[in-house]
Amino acid sequence: MATIEALLITLLLTTGMRSGGSLIEAPVPGATRDYYAAVFLNRSHVSVGASANIGLFRRQSDTVWKNIYRPNLFTFGIGMWEKGSTRRYYIAAGNGVHRSDDGRASWRVLTDWRTEEVLSLALDPADSSRLYIGTPLGVFRSADDGKSWQKKSKGMKKGFVQKVVMDHFNRTTLYACSEDDLYYSADAAEHWTPLRVGVKGVMTVVQHPVDPAHLLVGTEDDGVWVSFNRGKSWSKGSGLPPSAIYALSVSSDTKTIYAGGYLTGVWKSMDGGLHWIPVWQSDLLEAVYTIFVDQEHPRHLMIGTSGQGIFESFDEGVTWRHAGLRGCHVKQIELYP
Amino acid sequence: MKAMTTKKLASALLVMIASVLQCTPAQESAAPRDAFETRRMRLIDVVSRERDRSFNTVTAKLFSGNDKTYALTVLDSLTTDESIGGMFYAYSAIGTYLKFRDQLPDSMKRKIRQAFRARTMYRGDTENHWVMYYTGMYLAAQTWPHEGRSEWFNGKSSEENFREAEGWLNHWINLSSTIGQGEFDSPTYFITFIAPMLTMYDFANDPLMKRKAQMMVDLLFVDYAAEHLAGNYCGGHSRDYPDDIANPLAAPSALWAWLYFGEPKMELWQENRYRPRNRGSWETIFGATSTYRLPEIIYRIATDRSRPYVHTESKRVRNVIRFGREMNPPVYKYTYMTQLYALGSLQGGILQPIQQHTWDVTYASDKPNNTVFTLHPFYSGKELAMFFPEEQKFLSDEVNRYHFVYTNPNKWNSSSPFEQTFQHKNALIVLYDLDETAQQPHIDGFFPKNLDEREPHNSGWVFCRAGSVFIAMYPLKRGEWIEEGPNWRWRGNEKQNGVVVEVGSTIEDGTFEAFKDLVVQGHPEMKHTRESVGLDYTTRHGDRMSFMFGGERILNGKTIDFKSYKFFAGPFVLSERGSGIVRMMYNNDVRELDFKKALVREWRQ
Repeated sequence: MATIEALLITLLLTTGMRSGGSLIEAPVPGATRDYYAAVFLNRSHVSVGASANIGLFRRQSDTVWKNIYRPNLFTFGIGMWEKGSTRRYYIAAGNGVHRSDDGRASWRVLTDWRTEEVLSLALDPADSSRLYIGTPLGVFRSADDGKSWQKKSKGMKKGFVQKVVMDHFNRTTLYACSEDDLYYSADAAEHWTPLRVGVKGVMTVVQHPVDPAHLLVGTEDDGVWVSFNRGKSWSKGSGLPPSAIYALSVSSDTKTIYAGGYLTGVWKSMDGGLHWIPVWQSDLLEAVYTIFVDQEHPRHLMIGTSGQGIFESFDEGVTWRHAGLRGCHVKQIELYP
Repeated sequence: MKAMTTKKLASALLVMIASVLQCTPAQESAAPRDAFETRRMRLIDVVSRERDRSFNTVTAKLFSGNDKTYALTVLDSLTTDESIGGMFYAYSAIGTYLKFRDQLPDSMKRKIRQAFRARTMYRGDTENHWVMYYTGMYLAAQTWPHEGRSEWFNGKSSEENFREAEGWLNHWINLSSTIGQGEFDSPTYFITFIAPMLTMYDFANDPLMKRKAQMMVDLLFVDYAAEHLAGNYCGGHSRDYPDDIANPLAAPSALWAWLYFGEPKMELWQENRYRPRNRGSWETIFGATSTYRLPEIIYRIATDRSRPYVHTESKRVRNVIRFGREMNPPVYKYTYMTQLYALGSLQGGILQPIQQHTWDVTYASDKPNNTVFTLHPFYSGKELAMFFPEEQKFLSDEVNRYHFVYTNPNKWNSSSPFEQTFQHKNALIVLYDLDETAQQPHIDGFFPKNLDEREPHNSGWVFCRAGSVFIAMYPLKRGEWIEEGPNWRWRGNEKQNGVVVEVGSTIEDGTFEAFKDLVVQGHPEMKHTRESVGLDYTTRHGDRMSFMFGGERILNGKTIDFKSYKFFAGPFVLSERGSGIVRMMYNNDVRELDFKKALVREWRQ
């Protein structure tokens, strides 16, 4: 026991843990379900050729992830649409939206040069023909299964849209994270209205799964801002460092909200985002891009980082283990059937 | 009435001539053409003896018949190795296929076809990437038409790939011929535009696309020609590698000048001082084996430096996706060309991320490092985020992984929001106004060690002589001289600073002493306010220049209006911004590229 403790302390010292959670190395049994990760960059493979070893990865075992599509796809995000026996997989990538209708056996790029890079996508759960994408040039919508795309940025002052998100409760309501504000559309992206967060550079938005009026945004330089009335008024979350927040996730208990960003580590809030406490801060964490919360097992967390791949915790962030893709920028992690 | 009739007749005659010439490649007179033929065959021969694993050597070997077996082995390796791919591969692979399809065994053809089926042709994220990618996709889809979605790496049919590539290429040609390229005038990246367009010209089946490609090749060459001096691509550059900035004839564009303009006279690959970079420029083989022939008028524009001239251009900033008010703000270029040197500048500011080269003096020389310039080595995540969609907080670090020097305080390429210029003929004012956000609190000047003279004068001027060329630089604040490999680095550590530059030569000034005597009379008067830096300066030719950082540029009491800048303006090239009509002029000969109508007209005035 003493030996294990000594080993753990040595590991913590050598792996750069600063405060909060701790890093462990022991494999955790039963952790191999069907996880997917979007890898944007791999610092071990600086290449614009065919072998950058980035793209869509699927977990093979504890720490082993396999690139299952293209080895050089600059991947910003992934998505899955499911109804009955129909299952469609999506990738938001540097060269457009990719879709597979046959269980990832084959893929097709749905967009062309007009959309440039596709930074995020929002899928209509009731209608697979309707898609929204966030791009550097604004929001684009397709209403015909990706055959054609229309730019839908009316009302937006700036074009750049980091993320577009669909309301959990209303398919025609959308949120778009822009460089100057969070925008809201009540008519399927036809018109956009600024929600006046009061902070430039909105990087991400999350809507509470139970309370549709409860919104949180992560910003480029000013932490997290919260609204409990669908954006009519905003409050700044306290406790977080004044840095960029890229990741916000709500636990399945609907009470715990996690946040992560640039040089912030992982934080959590138990009061809807008004106050934040550190979960794990480490020199290993330059940036946390994404936080995956297992909806069946809320104590199970995974984070996608810049350059360090994926870390995983099975105890709500008390201890962490490296879970693969070292060297990679992991933009999104999902668990799909 | 009589005059009008004459004018009408002249117009009618012009239309007749134009209609005759619109599909005819321009003819070159015998002498330059023969010399070109000699050079291109020489290049093919030299490259065909190379052993490196590239489409360039494969092309040279198959074209010349020299070592065909080895060429096929290399080609087999290139088509089998799936670690190779992307936009460079896309246009090179299909170009090689189309050029030699009669020679290639069926198995090889199938492998090249398979590459477009199984391998991701990464599109990339820059203008040159897209030109290479869409050229490759256009020609591949043309070569294998009527094939279904499952036959292409991106799940699009031949028809869909062809239409997409055609759409973007037309969009790019339209932009480039009306408001300019974003990656304009780049000695480093010139190859990545000219080689795909030559390939498109050689193999596009659609006569309209073929003609447009020919016109783009003409445009790229005449754009270079107007600022060409003895193999050097002069003036400000959107993007350039530090090695190419510090040693202009080592840039890949120099070998294209050798091939098409016949300058420099030396075979660059034989010269150790230039050879390392030029061995990376065998893409010229795409020119040497092309059916395209440079119109003589462009050759004349590139090589006639009998009279000095001012050449201005307006280009565009690369797509600004964040933190900007418009997508492609204009870039203003001013270049003064002479027989012995060129002084050229961009207006300053952030016009391109990472690799901008704002100004320099470049002189004709038989020595390397034939240039003098200053810069502020700026870097910022926000600058990069203006152009790239990734998170700005660590974009600088990521860019460093590709370009290695982005955050280096000693780098020799940089845009900077703290740098602005004002040029009039062979005099230039460069102002620097660094604020507290500037991570590098200094400015640097590049002075080659092989200058014949470099003399800090007690008047405050630094006088330099390179053969018959004289350069004077007046730093507004005192700096230090740091000795480095091939150069001296002049470093100014004041945040509000600047330099005045005068350039002359034996032709203009007679002797170095006479040049110095004239220059020292024009002592710059600084106008240093709390808010900004600026100065009044009277050039040695008596022109009064007044410039405050962030303020107007005033020449002889009149404000310079950048908005009046044309797309091209000078004695050799003229084009109204947005018109799509580029007129080349040499003596009485005129060649006009009408991109709106996809027509080439030629006439004699």
